[in-house]
Amino acid sequence: MQDKHEAHRSYGLQTAGSRGIAGTKRYAMVIDLRKCIGCRSCMVACKAEFGIPLGVWRTWVKEGDKGSYPNTRRIFMPRLCNHCDYPVCVRNCPTQATFKHKDGFVLQRYNRCIGCRTCMVACPYNARHLIPAKRTDKNLPTMVVDKCTFCIHRVKKGLVPSCVQACVGGARIFGDMNDPNSEVSKLASKETLTVLKPELGTSPSVSYIGGDWELMDEPHSYTNRSTQLKDEFNDFKRNHKGDAFGDIVEGEPTMPQVIANMNGFLHTIPHKAKGVFDSFVNFFFK
Amino acid sequence: MEESVITYNVFHHVAWGTSISVYFWLVGVSTGSFIISSLGWVFGIERYKSIALTASITAVVILLLVPSLLIWDLGQPLRFLYLLLPSYWHATGPMSWGSTFIFFYSIAIIVYSYFVIVNNPFWAKMIGIISVVLAILLELYTGVVMQLNPGRFLNNTALTPFLFLTGAFISGIGVLILVLWIQNMLVAIKVEWTLIEEMAKYMMFGLVFDLFLLFLDFMQTLYGDHGQVIGHEVVLMGVFRFPYLWLEIIIGLLIPFFILVSPLKKFKAGILLAALLVAVGVYGMRVWWVMGGQYLQTFY
Repeated sequence: MQDKHEAHRSYGLQTAGSRGIAGTKRYAMVIDLRKCIGCRSCMVACKAEFGIPLGVWRTWVKEGDKGSYPNTRRIFMPRLCNHCDYPVCVRNCPTQATFKHKDGFVLQRYNRCIGCRTCMVACPYNARHLIPAKRTDKNLPTMVVDKCTFCIHRVKKGLVPSCVQACVGGARIFGDMNDPNSEVSKLASKETLTVLKPELGTSPSVSYIGGDWELMDEPHSYTNRSTQLKDEFNDFKRNHKGDAFGDIVEGEPTMPQVIANMNGFLHTIPHKAKGVFDSFVNFFFK
Repeated sequence: MEESVITYNVFHHVAWGTSISVYFWLVGVSTGSFIISSLGWVFGIERYKSIALTASITAVVILLLVPSLLIWDLGQPLRFLYLLLPSYWHATGPMSWGSTFIFFYSIAIIVYSYFVIVNNPFWAKMIGIISVVLAILLELYTGVVMQLNPGRFLNNTALTPFLFLTGAFISGIGVLILVLWIQNMLVAIKVEWTLIEEMAKYMMFGLVFDLFLLFLDFMQTLYGDHGQVIGHEVVLMGVFRFPYLWLEIIIGLLIPFFILVSPLKKFKAGILLAALLVAVGVYGMRVWWVMGGQYLQTFY
């Protein structure tokens, strides 16, 4: 239980944190890493549930190798939005596009989002992404920020999120942390739970059992990449420029890349201008 | 100790890229240039009135480039209007404040320039005071918008506002010196070179203060938490070594400093070179600040 002062701490115009407050719900996920086998069915289920485009993810599974032969182990860590009690993204959003639901969900309103990506810069967990401009279904939003919703549409019908439903090892457990009879609450009382970046004071709703610090620590994750992963990362940045044009390939001169990035950004302007023009035409003449 | 290797992860793009770094630099140059403009009409230093109009017009012209960068950087360019609508405005969002400041600052400096042109001291001073406050707030915002992200090791420092204000001040003077030199060559109205020398002296004081702030930042990153230490090693002295060490510290601060304390300052070319290097060097800071600050996390 949190003390009264912390429980009522609130950022901006959004709902205060509800963890540990009687009479409120606090939906949370516990991920038991002892049971995770790295099958990535959660990633597939999430992609299928929401039609997530290629190249972006609401949930993913990070993977590492631990130890040296013959004492080795493969470790996994599923990642998703932490639905923080005190979300930095909500605090920093300039248009109130992202907000915190009273039951703990951190949600995104596409119609308010201007695609400024402030929330992506603010999120310490990399849990947000900009939806690419091209989608198969033209009715779905593009070029606005998207994120995990904890499958609120399913939870409100008494179901669990699709990633939890799909988890073959039963590693993902979902429920109301404020309900003492829920499975997550029981796990929280008997197991040692860890969260990502607790020092930031975000109070995440996603916690882990048996987390390895090597996977949880951000700088360590960077410095201890395998050579292959480092090459893949550089290929990704070299060949898949994001909409912000800020990727720098490690080991190559920085400033020519900065100039090339600016050039790439300038080349997007005519396409965006055409989109703006089309909107005007649609609004006034059709 | 048991070693571990990360073998798979999904990758993420940097959320803010080159256009934002250029935007931060342009805002800095505009506000820095405007503050020099205000020395005459707002702070009453008579000899600066001769350059007030050039400085304020420089500030306006440079600021005109900003909206084009910002609006086209948005995923939904037309929705930039949301930033100014009261029902969307979010008091805890730094960008809400920033967009408000930039809106009113751009209007204020245009109005100020008008009163300078028509030679109306009272209104030039009144609007000038408002513009100076807005200029300082706007420049603070560009730093603070990235500072207030606790997950960004390199940006989350209380030195940020001072780093940005100092950078704006010196880069503004740098660009203004170059503009005044061009004006002296092209237009009949000449600016006394002694005034430019005096501005160069202010720029030198700014350089020293900027170096001091960077030293403090260096100490913090070197003795900071894991993220700051790795950020220093991998980002500042690694991938972003050129914009950080070479462009900002050596080319942008140390070389101009030595020019301005050496006999070279007596030559026009010396001062002009120092001004150019400072302006370029501050852009190096904007590059590592924006893109370097996000670099590590793109892998996490």
